[in-house]
Amino acid sequence: MGLRSRRRWVILCLTLALGCEGKIVGREGPGGGTPSAASLKMGPTGAHRLSRDEYDNTVRDLVGDTAGEGFALLPEDAHDPFDNNYLTQIASQALVDAAEQLAIHVAERLLADPTRLRSLLPCTPTGPGDSACLKSFVSRFGRRALRRPLTDAEVAEYATLQSFAVEKGDFNVAVALVVQAMLQDPEFLYRVERGTPAAGSAGTYRLSAFEIATRLSYFLWGSTPPDWLLDSAAAGQLETRDQIRAAAVRLLGDPPAQERVDRFHALWLGFHQLPHPVALTQALRTETGALIKKVVFEDRADYFQLFTANQSYVNAALVTNYGLSAAPPASGYAWVSYAGTGRKGILSHGAVLSAGAKFGDTSPTQRGIFVRSRLLCEAILPPPPTVDVDQMPTSPTSNCKIDRYQSHSTNGNCNTCHRRLDPVGFGLEAYDTAGAFRTHDVNEPTCAISGDGVLDGVGNFNGPGQLADLLLQSPSFETCITTQLFRFALGRNETLDDAELITKLTRSFHDGQRRFDQLLLDVVSDDRFAYRREE
Amino acid sequence: MPVKKALRLSRRTLLRGAGGVMVGLPLLECMLDGGPARAQTAAPKRYLVVFDGQSLGGDDDTLLSEFVPDTVGSGYDLKTALAPLGAAGVQPWVTVVSGMRIPTAAENGGTPPAGGRADDFHVSSASPLLSGVRSPSSSGRVYGPTSDQLLAAQLAGSTTFKSLVYRVQAAWYLSVSAPSGRDLISYKTDSSGNVVPIPAEVSPRQAFTQLFGNFVPPGVDPATAAAMDFQLRTRRSVLDLVHRRTERLVPQLGRADQLRLQRHFDEIRDLELRVAATPPPQTSTCVKPADPGPDPALGGNQGVDGGGNTTYDQNLGYSNEDDRAKSFIGLIHMAMVCDLTRVASLQLTMFQSHMNMYALTAQGCDLHEVGHFGAGRETTKQMAKAQAWHVKHFASLISKFASTPEPGGTMMDNTAMVFLLEGGHGFDPGSGKTWSSHSTENMACLVAGKVGGLKTGLHLQATGMHPARVLITAMRAAGYSGTSLGEVSGEIPGLRA
Repeated sequence: MGLRSRRRWVILCLTLALGCEGKIVGREGPGGGTPSAASLKMGPTGAHRLSRDEYDNTVRDLVGDTAGEGFALLPEDAHDPFDNNYLTQIASQALVDAAEQLAIHVAERLLADPTRLRSLLPCTPTGPGDSACLKSFVSRFGRRALRRPLTDAEVAEYATLQSFAVEKGDFNVAVALVVQAMLQDPEFLYRVERGTPAAGSAGTYRLSAFEIATRLSYFLWGSTPPDWLLDSAAAGQLETRDQIRAAAVRLLGDPPAQERVDRFHALWLGFHQLPHPVALTQALRTETGALIKKVVFEDRADYFQLFTANQSYVNAALVTNYGLSAAPPASGYAWVSYAGTGRKGILSHGAVLSAGAKFGDTSPTQRGIFVRSRLLCEAILPPPPTVDVDQMPTSPTSNCKIDRYQSHSTNGNCNTCHRRLDPVGFGLEAYDTAGAFRTHDVNEPTCAISGDGVLDGVGNFNGPGQLADLLLQSPSFETCITTQLFRFALGRNETLDDAELITKLTRSFHDGQRRFDQLLLDVVSDDRFAYRREE
Repeated sequence: MPVKKALRLSRRTLLRGAGGVMVGLPLLECMLDGGPARAQTAAPKRYLVVFDGQSLGGDDDTLLSEFVPDTVGSGYDLKTALAPLGAAGVQPWVTVVSGMRIPTAAENGGTPPAGGRADDFHVSSASPLLSGVRSPSSSGRVYGPTSDQLLAAQLAGSTTFKSLVYRVQAAWYLSVSAPSGRDLISYKTDSSGNVVPIPAEVSPRQAFTQLFGNFVPPGVDPATAAAMDFQLRTRRSVLDLVHRRTERLVPQLGRADQLRLQRHFDEIRDLELRVAATPPPQTSTCVKPADPGPDPALGGNQGVDGGGNTTYDQNLGYSNEDDRAKSFIGLIHMAMVCDLTRVASLQLTMFQSHMNMYALTAQGCDLHEVGHFGAGRETTKQMAKAQAWHVKHFASLISKFASTPEPGGTMMDNTAMVFLLEGGHGFDPGSGKTWSSHSTENMACLVAGKVGGLKTGLHLQATGMHPARVLITAMRAAGYSGTSLGEVSGEIPGLRA
């Protein structure tokens, strides 16, 4: 409860700050300078454990293992909505057992694949006891896995595993065991940040170049830093804002960045797991992924085009599902016009319209909460204890949903909150949980759906296209986009001390033609990205 | 007792003396069960909690339940929910306790009383039910150590696993929210004195490996035995290295991170001890079970690309929990036969569970919605079908224990098992409804086993009593020295001789 009301204050403050020029603070000086700790306001942070997604990505990038086994064995991450909020993580027997088994399996698969194993070796071993070669491997692999150079003592410590290679007469046994050990190292499983105390700012620490490389890589790739980035860190080339930004530009140019940006949207808009059969799920994810990629990476367009696009990347099945009048692609997927459908952009996608289902159908209330909390970052207070949210609204005279939900607005207490929620959802009612268009309630042919909705305080709309238009007019929308990205980037929710940064990011996003790739770069090239505040 | 202890120690000492190599050792005749020494020893006492994330009856349905028998005392009748007890032939091992309640804030001027809950339902019953400590709000948090963990501290002895904490429902299944405690039924006091949740193991495969991975089947060929020995030694060396590195890291961190990583370190140390432990001697009953094989896919089928990689997470709300339950029950049974552990908690389904019931009961909705079908839909009978799925697995657990002989009769003679449900059926102080599934009135639970004089085969009415008293009775029967659980004290009269 305390957290919720605190978050509401943050949003309020952000909105105020944006609405009034005089309150804007933290305008950046000329770029290129070395970050300084003076007067940096930011919330505290701590060690983040790799999420299941990050774990599988990391293992793939470290040793080329694509089994993706972490998803099945590691404890489920809490999605609130992002999967990387470190404050929701807790160590457990299930975690360390999974980490051990996963490490053993990765090592076994590596040992069974000599070509892949050889590609990790910087040398050709002369025999099972070649300690120079093993140490050279430990040193190189350790820097990747633990995301910092190892000391000689640490290298020697890992090299003690060579005795097993000698026993077996196989050098590769030691290589596999070093991998097995490193994948269980706390500095592998957790992104531990230490840094050095910043002058004149108690409790603030300047991150090491390797820690900055790690933050960059997990934010933009969801994975471990590549060698070139660690080389930059080692060479002192991740010190200034410009250097950090340049590294981020290079990261954004590679495919993992597209996956990561897709994942941000999937978590934010609730479509990372879709409740549909395989073929439909595949089609919906393909459609939404294509639009995100086009707007952010290919066209580098105004981010609002994600919400206003007048065409969509669909296959024949989706054309049918959506009832589009345009001809379906002859085969596979193609960009098809939305013309004449009332659809626009990502909010018209079945992937996004899947969110907020309840009672086996769309829920106007849940969709209202979704729009308010996810897209406008408004805090929705939980219903009072006297409300049973598991009861479907009913009407004594009608089975039609629009009538049944009247019970929310005729009761004054309910209406206080529901007038801001239900009318938003009713504006999307003509689109079912897979985004298909419909004209009447499920199993109720006499209950016509008007599709009329109201975004209280902003305007009236009908359908996801018009809702997008209204959102784009809302002063909260841009702030909410940057706030959600902040949460994902830092792996935590904002505090009052983060308002300054979020305000600044929103301003530059707004002023810079709303380029999402630039927003990503603005996050990492703010001074605060190179510091942490002690919890 | 002393005889057995000496025996076990001598074998362990023998094994340790051999440098951890445990293959090829001759089994002395006295180490086999059925030998003269074994017959004189008492079997360990055991305690299990099994959880069903449902209430007893449905909304707007005046039918109290299809769970609680009409008959009081012995020879009680089996309605839909308990029919699996009859089918498995285990009713004589099971006592039904009914009519209990958890007090609410509404009856205490708006503040939850001792052992009570907040008025809004779903998860507010977790803390009082599992730990006996009141929940100040409707949060899913439990505010005291749970019965299984309190008992583990006293029963575990030198067993390799202080307790097993398993969950059958493999995922939360909702994509736009987090379970917020609905996925947890075990809490312990950590080394810093804080009450912390124990996230459950959900992978039967992983549980199998941790429990039985180091068991060498009798008569195994020397090459396999040597390979297993090699792997065990490498695991120990690797964990020793991880242990030392974690120990060095913790003091270098800030205070909050120290606490975080100290918890991780505690778990590493525990894993190290478990891996270092020598497997118990295999006997005619303690045998390495069959490998359950790969876990069923999470959430249903995964999308797969041309390279065989998973391309996205799909979620049909079901991960073959039926198979997962069978696997976990087999593992818990054998872990206790082999005395690897004496305490287990098994969460079949989460509080307010969103597991898809279609594959299990042909109900076209999730478990939570089963209780909320609405007026005129016979919600209580619908809920009973789902309860029966849970009870079927509980009955299977009992059946396995009851068919395993040991000193004193069978394992059931030395065990206490409790089957709990999230709620009861009746008045909901939140909505003011008389017949709601959001209620902790008329709660019922099952107790199985005869350890410590527990009486079985009865239906006991414990009108108005707190359900934590059932746990206290079962805990004390299993050897717990305390007389209370959290803020609740007292046993259920007539449940124990």
